[in-house]
Amino acid sequence: MKDALVLVERFNAHPDSRCWHVAWNPTATLMASCGGDRAIRIWGKEGDSWKCLSVLQDGHQRTVRRVAWSPCGTYLASASFDATTCIWKKKNDDFECLTTLEGHENEVKCVTWAPSGNLLATCSRDKSVWVWEVDEEDEYECVTVINSHTQDVKLVVWHPTLELLASASYDNNICVYKEEDDDWECKATLEGHASTVWSLTFDPSGQRMASCSDDRTVKIWKCQNIEGPGDMSWKCVCTLSGFHERSVYDIAWCRLTGALVTACGDDGVRVFKEDPSADPDQPVFSLAAHVSKAHSQDVNCVAWNPKEGGVLATCSDNGEIAIWKYQDDHE
Amino acid sequence: MASHFSGVLKLTDLDDFITPSQECVKPVKLEKKQGKSVAKIQIEDDGSYFQINQDGGKQKLEKAKITLNDCLACSGCITSAESVLIAQQSQEEIFKVLRNNKLASATDQVVVVVSVSPQSRASLAARFGMSSSETGRRLTSFLKGLGVHHVFDTGFSRTFSLLESQQEFLERFQRKEQDKSALPMLTSACPGWICYAEKTHGEFILPYISTTRSPQQMMGSLVKDYFAEAQGLSPRQIFHVAVMPCYDKKLEASRPDFYLEEAESREVDLVITSGEVLSMLEQEKVILNEVKAAPLDELFSNVNGGELLSHAGGGSGGYLHHVFTHTAKQLFGEEVKELTYKTLKNKDFQEVTLEKDGVVVLRFASTYGFRNIQNLVQKLKRGKSPYHFVEVMACPSGCLNGGGQLKPLPDQTSKDLLQQVERLYKAETASVPEDDTRVSDLYHSWLHNVGAERARQLLRTQYHGVEKISNGLVIKW
Repeated sequence: MKDALVLVERFNAHPDSRCWHVAWNPTATLMASCGGDRAIRIWGKEGDSWKCLSVLQDGHQRTVRRVAWSPCGTYLASASFDATTCIWKKKNDDFECLTTLEGHENEVKCVTWAPSGNLLATCSRDKSVWVWEVDEEDEYECVTVINSHTQDVKLVVWHPTLELLASASYDNNICVYKEEDDDWECKATLEGHASTVWSLTFDPSGQRMASCSDDRTVKIWKCQNIEGPGDMSWKCVCTLSGFHERSVYDIAWCRLTGALVTACGDDGVRVFKEDPSADPDQPVFSLAAHVSKAHSQDVNCVAWNPKEGGVLATCSDNGEIAIWKYQDDHE
Repeated sequence: MASHFSGVLKLTDLDDFITPSQECVKPVKLEKKQGKSVAKIQIEDDGSYFQINQDGGKQKLEKAKITLNDCLACSGCITSAESVLIAQQSQEEIFKVLRNNKLASATDQVVVVVSVSPQSRASLAARFGMSSSETGRRLTSFLKGLGVHHVFDTGFSRTFSLLESQQEFLERFQRKEQDKSALPMLTSACPGWICYAEKTHGEFILPYISTTRSPQQMMGSLVKDYFAEAQGLSPRQIFHVAVMPCYDKKLEASRPDFYLEEAESREVDLVITSGEVLSMLEQEKVILNEVKAAPLDELFSNVNGGELLSHAGGGSGGYLHHVFTHTAKQLFGEEVKELTYKTLKNKDFQEVTLEKDGVVVLRFASTYGFRNIQNLVQKLKRGKSPYHFVEVMACPSGCLNGGGQLKPLPDQTSKDLLQQVERLYKAETASVPEDDTRVSDLYHSWLHNVGAERARQLLRTQYHGVEKISNGLVIKW
């Protein structure tokens, strides 16, 4: 019997505009979403349904492309097409803008906090990846600016445990960065996708990465020698093709269950499960659940609930957020 | 091609297949003619455009032109077309001028002057295994053999830049209470930094930037004004080439501020990099070690006893060192023999302080590389910069590591090469600008009677903020 992805709730998050991203806070009590209406919305559970607790409207002059919670849950970072990244601090039920990080030449596509909480990474259409550091006085400073990509950088993501950064780009490549001497360097360039790499996610152990692309595939990458010293070498150990009808915009690897979920331009959401008996160097993933019309338009983002296994949030060009429960048939 | 520029310059977008770079601000500066808003445009068979007026009369429309010079001088963007053109501003130009000289009549000939930077000399010295001074002698011989008339050393003009910087800092320090943008004083010798500052931070940052000319452009003044007059030549009769450790210096030479309107001549006609000099040697099939040494042209070289001299304070000119020591002496009566540099966030961000009676009276810093420049500017914008003076360079590790320096050989690491170049550079004895009698005599004889305004034109420069254009047509979706 096929596993199921069941809709729990659906609501309009960003009226008359696209919802670009939705993120659970570390305790999964709140969600933050952002969109083309230049707003960030904070959502909280009221009984069985989600309610909008707060709207942060004046932080940005253009579309807010991404929001990210700090590991401690007190701060929220927002990346915007207005070339800035805002840092917000939670004050009771509201958020106040602490500071604005400037420096990118044009649209900031992604912002993400390192698990340590002291570092932040941003990337932009200006082809660069920036790493920022925050000190005890909540002052942010640029640690480095890396120009390894030759085109728009779509996403940056930190390794779950090591101080390692990965980026995905319109140049079809993935770059992995490490700090060496007193500067950050690109230590590996993963080539293989035939088109823009939209998103990346690390597996719970941090040994592998999954990427998704405009070429309609998902690739699983494994690393020899991830902790160094010396060069890391990454190999593509699995490619999932034939499942997606359009560009795959987002991918997320569940920390709790190891399941992979994708967001697709064909309006569908798909969950993949790994075959536990397969050779670790030749993993096998199979399609475990598929909702073909999860939204009425492109699905932009998928996010696993960090506390409740199998619970998933998605958001779409149609401005909606939807919550799903993945029911593993074997439970 | 585009990769040659400093990292600070590279961050602007570089693709311009059909439209000019999004950052091109040139169209904004065209003059708008008064007239009715509705016009009919007619395109003739020959491709020219005519505006048809209401009364039927035709007016030929000017084509918007962007010349190489507009591109080079404007800091609005660096397009890939321009970077190709910059690459064409190479050693080929100098060969062309020398060739023309051989064929020209006596009246049409130009006097070819080459000013070599100490950093370029050190880079070539490392490759050929000679001291920097010996490399200078061999280069002099090689260049004169090709037809170059004079080979100077920008270490000489750098003495002027250091002295002017010292003066300027004292002036700024004295007026810091009345003028909030007097301090910190930010150095201006690095064109990568200047282009970035003009383009990205515009009017906010420009008042902080030192107006002192860089050694390259000081030499431009010396050669095309003092030297020209002394030789009875017009500036156009001198072809002045500078040999520099980076490509950004080519942009500096093309700035309108360094163009002599009346004489219709550039103060520095051409900039070639250390690497381009190597190409010249290779083209002429000359190995520098095998060239017979020639005596140095001492007129505009920082020499003593036939050996070239350097300046203390690192491979990027020593601005921090010299302004610090001079100010410590003049304002606080302290003789600082050796500076103690404290490394802050990374090795390209260092700080030096002077304490008097337990109070910090001077706080200077050097910030090299984009990330440190970013933090400096952001701190300044928030009013949180603690410095009185900052030496700003676009390249990590400074000018000795410029984009135009010779690349490491296959069996060498970049790190090892840089250390070697630094060693050779530092091996030259340091001269003290304030004690240089030849320079002080020249200050006197050259500038004494020209008046303050003219002296300003010769020793200082200015900056221009670039307005950004947000034209919907050029936004990339």
